[in-house]
Amino acid sequence: MSAMTAIQVLVNGLLLGGTYVLIAQSLNLIFGVMKVVNLAHGGFVVIAGLFTFWAVNRLGIEPLAALPIVFVGGAVLGGVLEPLIIEPLMGKGRQSELLSLIVTFGLNYVLTQIALFSFGTDYVSVPFLQMTFNVGGVIVSAALLLTAVFAGITTLLLYFGLKYTFIGKSLLAASQSTIGAQSCGIDVGRVRAVAFALGVALAAVAGALLIMVQPMSASSSDNLTILAFVVIALGGLGSYRGATVAAFLLGVVQAAVGYLLGGNVESVLPFVLLIAIMVLWPRGIQRST
Amino acid sequence: MTQPASDSPSSRRPRERHPAVLLFCVLFVIVAVAIPAYGSAYAVQLATDVVQAIILAYSWNLLAGYTGYLSFGHVAFFGIGAYATTLLVLHTPVPWYVSVFAGGGVAVIVAVSVGPVMLRLRGILFALGMLGLARIMETLFTDWQFPGGAAGTVINGELTPIAVYVLMVLTGIAAFAVNLFIVKSGFGLDAMSVREDEDAALALGVPTNKVKTIVFATSALFPAIAGGLMAWNRSYIDPPSAFDPTMDLLTIVFVLFGGVGTLWGPLIGASTLMIVAEVLLVRLPAIKLALYGLIVIGVVLLLPGGIVSLINRLGGRLARKPVLVPAAFPSGFDPRVSKPTDHAGAKAAVLEVRDLSVRFGGHVAVDNVSFQVGEGEILCIIGANGAGKTTLFNAITGAVPISQGHISLFGKDITDVPLYGRVHMGIARTFQIPRLLADLSVWENVLVAARHGRQAARAVEHTAWVLHILGLEPLKLEHAATLSPGRQRELELARVLAVQPDVVLLDEVMAGMTRNEQETVRKVIRQFPELGVHAVICVEHVIAAVADLSDRMLVLDFGHKIAHDVPDKVLNDPAVVRAYLGDVA
Repeated sequence: MSAMTAIQVLVNGLLLGGTYVLIAQSLNLIFGVMKVVNLAHGGFVVIAGLFTFWAVNRLGIEPLAALPIVFVGGAVLGGVLEPLIIEPLMGKGRQSELLSLIVTFGLNYVLTQIALFSFGTDYVSVPFLQMTFNVGGVIVSAALLLTAVFAGITTLLLYFGLKYTFIGKSLLAASQSTIGAQSCGIDVGRVRAVAFALGVALAAVAGALLIMVQPMSASSSDNLTILAFVVIALGGLGSYRGATVAAFLLGVVQAAVGYLLGGNVESVLPFVLLIAIMVLWPRGIQRST
Repeated sequence: MTQPASDSPSSRRPRERHPAVLLFCVLFVIVAVAIPAYGSAYAVQLATDVVQAIILAYSWNLLAGYTGYLSFGHVAFFGIGAYATTLLVLHTPVPWYVSVFAGGGVAVIVAVSVGPVMLRLRGILFALGMLGLARIMETLFTDWQFPGGAAGTVINGELTPIAVYVLMVLTGIAAFAVNLFIVKSGFGLDAMSVREDEDAALALGVPTNKVKTIVFATSALFPAIAGGLMAWNRSYIDPPSAFDPTMDLLTIVFVLFGGVGTLWGPLIGASTLMIVAEVLLVRLPAIKLALYGLIVIGVVLLLPGGIVSLINRLGGRLARKPVLVPAAFPSGFDPRVSKPTDHAGAKAAVLEVRDLSVRFGGHVAVDNVSFQVGEGEILCIIGANGAGKTTLFNAITGAVPISQGHISLFGKDITDVPLYGRVHMGIARTFQIPRLLADLSVWENVLVAARHGRQAARAVEHTAWVLHILGLEPLKLEHAATLSPGRQRELELARVLAVQPDVVLLDEVMAGMTRNEQETVRKVIRQFPELGVHAVICVEHVIAAVADLSDRMLVLDFGHKIAHDVPDKVLNDPAVVRAYLGDVA
């Protein structure tokens, strides 16, 4: 690999990582507050992405105009689902973790089937900003750059929202101690519903952005969930800064592996990393839980 | 001491055969034979699929239901079995039956080799790790051109559908038999103790890693055999069908629906749902998986124990019975008689601590403390908060490294023996918060501790004896979680006695107890020396709770030993009064 190619792969990887940031942060938000690994996360991402494809093609709306629509739609869906199927499982310690894992595992199949039923099985993509910049010989895709910037801004908003707003502080308080937050007068049940709604809304935005840069089908959902989990596990579960760094790192590693070893290895890389990270750095994972 | 509670120590419950079980067996045989004899090709195929689902359900139940390790990627073993069998058939001259069982063997080898890595992951991490493993396998076989790559490979159907069916049924019976063994045996009890509290199980002497690996390998064997048979049956395999992730979904649905961790749940769940799906969902293939997804959600939320728990609530008798409970408690058994007395005659103290110091950085938590505990003695270590009691306690058990000094047991220096080694040498401890195996019975909580280092029959007798001595016998079938806090504490003491330790260390056993509960626990501790325990060391915050219990008391103040004598003298010692009440001017 020449130096130029290396820089190109690095840039591609960083841009790819930019698209992972939002998927991972929304999963991180849900895990941080509720200690629920949302296995349906990828399902929400693909439904929003495929909906965007449909809306752009059938309704003729601007791709970027789909972002607020899927955000609101995701928030409503998450806000309705949480009290119905997740909240009853909370407060049972280790049991809660496993039960919510099983429930979101089931939910993922429901979402994937809905996506298959409504949008078909094809891999599709929304053509958007198909121009490239040439920065000193390195080619930068405008769409990728825009999504990375969008994802970055949303993550920053999320970060400052959690730190400086009342609801954000309630979310953080609830994630540290349920009883502690309750005795401060916080309705933890409602906080969890808000966290889940916000997490799904951000996952939906991530899906809408993702389909503008890479093809996606209903069956991509599992891969996206695992990818997001790898990112947050690598960054230390629940850590927002760690997950951001990890997303870019994973993007670069994946781009490099894809360039050197081919697409099949690239697609299985998240799974290999998943097991490797969990086994080799279990303390890194538990650091912030 | 022991009362005539029963006729003879070896009496076992007469084997009861429930008419319903007998009826079920007869029906099962009739249906199993009738299908190939009178059924159409379609019926045989459907029956084969149903039995395959039952096999997968029982295998998954083995791991998830009993050890509590949820696998989201068990299809990995199904696929490995399918491919191993196919490759053996295509490239070696081995007969069909060898290839099918060799496929199972390959899966077991894979399970045993990845087990030590995967089983280090707990809870959600294991579930996700298995999901990843299945995907890695699928990609490997997609990329590997030798067995056909992404296009798959054809295998000539040498076996008739009826032969495949018969082999599936036999495999299913074997998978059921292993589940039956788990719910009836001491080994199964070990597995369930892993599910309840893996760390507590380890502390009680359960070789948790060995138990997990054996269960994991067994739960890999049956899906692999089913996979091999499936390859024969379909005459064609490719990675998407061999490693189909929806198979895991279906298996989990079946087991949850029937009742996870139960003997009959997987059978009930898999057979009903497979047949219902066949009848009702033929016209709805597009939403079949979504419906299964909804069933998973519905069962977890509305019927957590599955159909089996529903049947039990309606008066059925499918609940698991505690393992190895004798019909009548043996009498006349006394382990003190058989206990090796190699320490007898030794002049040395039971436990001796010499010049022990523990420093954390610059802070000296325990400063140059020496004391001895003699045969049959109960020593209580007291002191104000931060006096160094717990540190001294942890130093004796080996949980905290010491900075200087020596500890010896029966004159043998154990300063360099690690924590688990000290457990094997006869030092047992309790935890501040009892860590009982909540969902198991009182009987099983004690039996799991008594089992290790003993023959099975001895363990049962020993457990019965401990429960009898402590008056817990009437509660033996209760779940540990339903006991009052005082009773839970007694059960924990019973578990300590069950490992037959030489020295027992009790960590604030009476904290947060009512007077009555304290009195019960005190009674138990007073019995310890005559129950074969050579010495008891307790750490306690409340002096009143232990003053009349201890033979001697040791008072710590800022890491120093300021008194060590009989309770009367200690309590009137001006230095002790000062340490507790401050300087009264």
